[in-house]
Amino acid sequence: MSGPRSAVVGAPAFRPTVGEALAGVVLVLLLVAALWPNLLAPGDPLATAPADAFKGPSPAHLFGTDESGRDIYTRVVHGASESLLIGVLATAIGIGLAIVLGFVAGLGPRWLDFGTTRVVEVLFAFPGLLLALLFIVVTGPGVLSSTIAVGLATAPGYARIIRSQVRRAASAEFVEAARVLGRGRLWIVARHILPNVTAALFVLATLGLGQAIIWVSSLSYLGLGAVPPAAEWGAMLAAGRTYIANFWWMTFFPGLAIVASAAAATVVGRGIQKRNRSAV
Amino acid sequence: MPSRRFSRSRAAVVLAAAVVLLVTACSPGGGSTSEPTGEPVTGGTLTYASGDAEPSCLDPHVGGNYPQALIATQYLESLVSLDEDGEVIPWLATEWQESDDGMAWEFTLREDVTFTDGTPFDAEAVAANIAHVQDPATASSTGYLALAKVEDVVAVDDHTVRLELSAPDSALLESLSQVWVAMESPKALERSQDENCAAPVGTGPFVVDGWERQDSVTLVRNEDYTSPPADAEGTNLPYLDSIVWRFIPDSASRYAALQSGEVQVIDNAQPDTIQSAEPDEAIEELDAPRPGAANRIELNSSKAPFDDERVREAFIRSVNVDEGIEGLFFGTAERSYSPLSSVEPLGLSLPELFTVDTDAAASLLDEAGWAERDAEGYRVKDGERLTLDFPVSTNQSIPAEQSLFEQIQADAKTAGFEIKLHPLDLSSWYGALAENDYDLVSAPYTKVGPDVLRILYHSASIEPAPSGYFANLAQVDDPAVDDLLTRASTTSNPDDRESLYEQAQRVILEGYYILPLYDQQNHFLYSSTVQGLRAMPTVSTPTFAEAWLAS
Repeated sequence: MSGPRSAVVGAPAFRPTVGEALAGVVLVLLLVAALWPNLLAPGDPLATAPADAFKGPSPAHLFGTDESGRDIYTRVVHGASESLLIGVLATAIGIGLAIVLGFVAGLGPRWLDFGTTRVVEVLFAFPGLLLALLFIVVTGPGVLSSTIAVGLATAPGYARIIRSQVRRAASAEFVEAARVLGRGRLWIVARHILPNVTAALFVLATLGLGQAIIWVSSLSYLGLGAVPPAAEWGAMLAAGRTYIANFWWMTFFPGLAIVASAAAATVVGRGIQKRNRSAV
Repeated sequence: MPSRRFSRSRAAVVLAAAVVLLVTACSPGGGSTSEPTGEPVTGGTLTYASGDAEPSCLDPHVGGNYPQALIATQYLESLVSLDEDGEVIPWLATEWQESDDGMAWEFTLREDVTFTDGTPFDAEAVAANIAHVQDPATASSTGYLALAKVEDVVAVDDHTVRLELSAPDSALLESLSQVWVAMESPKALERSQDENCAAPVGTGPFVVDGWERQDSVTLVRNEDYTSPPADAEGTNLPYLDSIVWRFIPDSASRYAALQSGEVQVIDNAQPDTIQSAEPDEAIEELDAPRPGAANRIELNSSKAPFDDERVREAFIRSVNVDEGIEGLFFGTAERSYSPLSSVEPLGLSLPELFTVDTDAAASLLDEAGWAERDAEGYRVKDGERLTLDFPVSTNQSIPAEQSLFEQIQADAKTAGFEIKLHPLDLSSWYGALAENDYDLVSAPYTKVGPDVLRILYHSASIEPAPSGYFANLAQVDDPAVDDLLTRASTTSNPDDRESLYEQAQRVILEGYYILPLYDQQNHFLYSSTVQGLRAMPTVSTPTFAEAWLAS
């Protein structure tokens, strides 16, 4: 038990597999696209040019154009910030909520643990997307509500894992030692338990990001998230669906972006998880 | 026995199909299309896939929209019909006579027709139907507005009925030809609305047999069918045993289902698929532009900013829709410059009003006080941004049309208008209209004849019909327009009628209340095994009364 925190960051002889390296590159590209989209695609993602509609991939339009002559490459690049931002925010909401629930359940008195756990279990019985849809039905569609919806929908899963991590950490010898030494409750939580849960949280967040990107795109695809003509991958997929019989590139490239980013986040997350576990 | 016969005929079908396949595979491309080949065959089930919203009621008296008309055409019939030249022809009524003062019409009815529940069709039935449409509890809108002038219905004898009017109505016969005022069994109408909605009873070639919500309606052959319209071809109609009327909202899936042979007819065909199906010998196209209004964007003149004609003109002068229509519709839709559909002989086109002129638009906006621009380039006046709310019904606007709206949004942005597109389902869309929460809106309206102008632009149509829908969405409130339209609908002189409708259209177009786009698109794709399919010359709904499946 030598500081699990160090195992995450500085694993000795860090050697990524080919897949992980590739996933890393994709994530870096994604980050660049999200933060400085104009570096990769200087055009305006909303600029229409009806005369250039439905053009296939070519040097002028790498990914082709859509029904209004908008450049799909530019839209996919600019869409990264929206998809990633919503994905990160949704994951943050989910994990933030889960930390509260997990700590309350893990450290609170028995009845509180019992109550919270049952609530989480009931929520867990619903498929996550269904919870998200329910939330949107109540609040109305939109980017903000779909972000919150995905966050809420993922929270029960995280909460369960965090609770068990908290319980395990709380019964560790060093926590008992701290308690014997008369440290305050909050001090123990902040200095001993939280750091030991962080590693698991980090893995969860990376894995969850991929999931959240897919869910957010799904909601936009269903017309419940970003509204056309916004350059959002799910919305682009929905718009291209109509023309799939004749113009494959309209769905293929946004779809590829979703798959690649979700896969990359998952591969990186699993990589961290694997090393983390072997180090513990 | 029947099953054995069925299997034998099925074997014959397979054999014939194999032969046809072999022949077509060897024959060179080209050749004639859609010519009936050989004698009609009786029997078989046809599957129709609709992309429209599934009606919540199969009785088109209730509400009264196009999806209802599409399916009801298969089981309900009207007093009169139209032929291909637009002349009124007999259907359930054999003769009619207008009184000298135009205040009453007398119809002679067919004597050999019964509804499919056994109730005889007679003068009382006609009276019951018109009463049903006019009853506020029915919540009719299309039929209600079409029959607005009918005050009383008198059964002169069993098979003669007189309609007494509040004012002469030059559009009465055209109105009566529509399926929204079709004849239903009076006995069936006495049932609760829910029951009648689930299975309306008419005199048509098919009978509603079952309705699986969210999936399909099953229609079966009316074995005692006797009443095709005067222009119907063939004897012993209908030929088909049954029709499965499916709802497949996704256009790509609908087209794939047609290609795979899972369905034989699809509606709301997407422009790109119409184009790509053209060289395909196994798929035919039926193009039936709807009568009534052209598809257009209405500018809500009842509130700011469009209560100012200069702002309306500036908007219309700033958006270029021609390129978009060309690109999105692949040559299947032609630009319109008229409030009326191109199938309406009295339509007036004024293309010169719609030439794009961004400089003129800019100075009009300056004049109207929208001279400044904010950081995002939108025009502002007194700190308010020039924002236009545009609720879009995703059930009524096909994706190509929604894309066109996005292009209009981009064009208008350059001019300094901020258009907010709100894609909505049908009920939220009606809600937005009811709350006057829109500046731009596109709503199809189908009606036979130019009288649709009265429904769309007479100030009386700002008042909601019993269904809650009001048709004058531009909220044109102009006594001159009211007067022209009222006179046009009461005159019996065809020349006066034409001139009055022309003047009314001129005022509407020159007032920049509407931006006409194209005819209401009504494209059907169908398998070439389907023969004898035609669109009714009334409201352009396809009828399967004369259709049969070739082997």
